Amino acid sequence: MAKPIAKLRYDDLSEGDEAPALSHELTRSGLVAYAGASGDMNPMHHDEVQAKAAGLPSVFGHGMLSMGILGRALTDWAGVGNLTEYRARFTKQTWPGETLSTRIVVTGKSQTEEGKRVSVDVTLCNQDGEVKLAGTATVAVA
Amino acid sequence: MSLNRDEVVGLPTGASTVHVERGPVSKFARSVTDPNPVYHDLAAAREAGFDSIPAPPTFTFSAASHWGAFPEDQPEDPTGGAGNPMGRLMGDLRKEGGLILHGEQEFVYHKPMQVGETLRREGKIVDLYTKEAKGKTMTFLVTETVFKDDAGDPVVTERFNLIHRR
Repeated sequence: MAKPIAKLRYDDLSEGDEAPALSHELTRSGLVAYAGASGDMNPMHHDEVQAKAAGLPSVFGHGMLSMGILGRALTDWAGVGNLTEYRARFTKQTWPGETLSTRIVVTGKSQTEEGKRVSVDVTLCNQDGEVKLAGTATVAVA
Repeated sequence: MSLNRDEVVGLPTGASTVHVERGPVSKFARSVTDPNPVYHDLAAAREAGFDSIPAPPTFTFSAASHWGAFPEDQPEDPTGGAGNPMGRLMGDLRKEGGLILHGEQEFVYHKPMQVGETLRREGKIVDLYTKEAKGKTMTFLVTETVFKDDAGDPVVTERFNLIHRR
């Protein structure tokens, strides 16, 4: 039975604490890699010709790639296997050439029947501060 | 709104038996820019408390529907061969013009998902509602997909919220 090791300690965390931020520049190759690995073959994410024909300036990023990048920041911080809930609203499209940065802020702590939990607000913004994804998550802590 | 809530809510979106495979998990982790060795190296996964390589948090969305489902152990098709009704419903909404977007996504993790496990995936439409905002009509179509283990215990529950805005 797997017992993922929690990297965070309940007593060390307070409201307002932030997880280390990650930044990632979106590239067309990166979108193609995500399309292939996820099986999401919507041409708006990899076919520039079709995207332009549909009136878009270029291909755009998968919302779920944004959620995946933010998921990496969450598991780097809390330890893989310690995420218990993860919710996202996709507020803006992402575009190749943008640099996306994660922000994870502690909003609360609780002791539940299942164990100690810390809740966070999560956002992913581009280099100009435009919010691409906003959501919440809960992580298990020691 | 052209869609009737009573006819839509409760419709099955599909069911499958999914084998969580090492190659697809490793490739998916790299595609979400995650170099964490637990997704690639069995020793690192065991050191982090797993029995096997774990799947990244968003792996079930799309990836686990596309990879690891083989004909020999699939369950009976709950749509009776009609296929996932979301495609048809999105087509109906598209005829009204406007834009279809992936609005929200939610995951609830009940236990770790690991390479080597065989899971049962079942989905259904759970909600349909509209909101008026800034002179636009937004239709929300929500599906829920549950991945269960051999014992029938849930491993991951997903909620997918599609928005049609016009």
